[in-house]
Amino acid sequence: METPTNRPVPAAHAPKSKPDAWPMRLALGAGGIAAVSALTAAIVMPPQTVTNTQVTQQTVQQPLSTPVPASTIQVVQPVKYVQLLPGQTPPPGAQVISPADPTPRTVVVNVPAPAAKQPAAQPPAAQKPVYIKTTQSGTVVP
Amino acid sequence: MTVAAAVGNTTPQRTPEPEPIVPASFNATAMGGRFVIHLDVEWSGRQPVRGAGRHDGRAAADNGADAAADARRDAHVVIDRVHRWAERLTRHTETSDLSVLNSDPRSVIPVRPTLAAALLAAMVAADASEGFADVTLLDARLAAEEGREHTGASRIGEWQILRRHRGSGIVRRPPGLRFDLGGVGKGWIADRALDLLSDWPSAVVDADGDLAVRTAAGRAWEVGVADPRSPDTHLTVLRLAAPAGGLPVRWGVATSGVSIHRWPSDGAAAEPARHHLIDPRTGRPAVTDVVQATVVAESALRAEALAKSAVIAGSVDGFALLERSRVRGAVLLTAKGDVLALPVTLPLLDR
Repeated sequence: METPTNRPVPAAHAPKSKPDAWPMRLALGAGGIAAVSALTAAIVMPPQTVTNTQVTQQTVQQPLSTPVPASTIQVVQPVKYVQLLPGQTPPPGAQVISPADPTPRTVVVNVPAPAAKQPAAQPPAAQKPVYIKTTQSGTVVP
Repeated sequence: MTVAAAVGNTTPQRTPEPEPIVPASFNATAMGGRFVIHLDVEWSGRQPVRGAGRHDGRAAADNGADAAADARRDAHVVIDRVHRWAERLTRHTETSDLSVLNSDPRSVIPVRPTLAAALLAAMVAADASEGFADVTLLDARLAAEEGREHTGASRIGEWQILRRHRGSGIVRRPPGLRFDLGGVGKGWIADRALDLLSDWPSAVVDADGDLAVRTAAGRAWEVGVADPRSPDTHLTVLRLAAPAGGLPVRWGVATSGVSIHRWPSDGAAAEPARHHLIDPRTGRPAVTDVVQATVVAESALRAEALAKSAVIAGSVDGFALLERSRVRGAVLLTAKGDVLALPVTLPLLDR
């Protein structure tokens, strides 16, 4: 009968040391960021720098209504503001202003209809009476 | 999920725009200019459309004659009150409350309720206009009127008004500082006069061109903006409407400019314009590219202060100020002859 012996048990096998993963993780992270940056730069164009001297604003004015009878109001709205780069020309009919001018805003103008377009037999449209008026105060000095 | 847009198959339901009110007008002369009260008294069909909803619980326009009589009585009550206010606030009589204040050598002066309220309104106007509406420029204005050179700018921060019991007030100011309520006084009177006409849902108080307006639901006033180049024409017509089914809407409309109230120059070509709008930054008549400005705001006081400011500041700074102030509309006539309006004005333009 065998009796247990006090044979020494071999020591547990020591785990094999592995290389540190952090340098690789950092390297992969940095590479990923670089790739995303490159893609972003390729997709989104950087804004062009335009100096004040190169910029001309233009306002394309578009009538809201068809020609109207004399003495009525036609409202003209500024529709677009376009920045022209050097070498570009404005579309026909556009009013080009200098950068130093104040920003154009809605313009209200009295536009009399051309006389030739009015039928001779038709009496002029009766103007609605306006009972209330806002005026400057004071009296006119000749 | 598919969202179908019905384009062209339905016609949008548009509420018909109300016809402009044809008012009953009551004319007077006050504050050195015209003073008119316009009331909406017309009867339309079987419905008491005009003048309806009076606070006394009865229909104002039970019949046309009653409405007209009510209007005449109410208008004359208000005109009498306006005369009393104007007598206290004018600088053109020596006995007015304002003239007594201006001639008082003390630095702390008690004032009666009307002047206290008007001076408080001047504080409000100065704040709303970022200092352009300044009631401390009387000396500069008199100098411009008389063709004298004037030095010294605004003293807007040197005075204050404190309210006391029963509406009276205490003015603290350096001795010698004099006030000219001018347009601020007119705007204040127009607003207060409209308050007195609270029985009339649609009413206009015209204080020499500065208007306090109330429009009843479903009604519309039309206001012409005078063209200073041609007295019988308008730069445009503003339509001040209130949506049907809502509450009455209150407006202030005021016009200020340099083309009417000015004094003959001595003929020197290089002499700057002599007009009544003093630039508080210089103490002299404003040098500006704006001939006339009309502003629509929520009160006549505020509209008057901002219209004056837009002229003094010039078109570029003036438009910027008006946008910051969130006005309801603004129409400017420039020295070049352009008529410019803030985009917020478009819904008000009569087309």
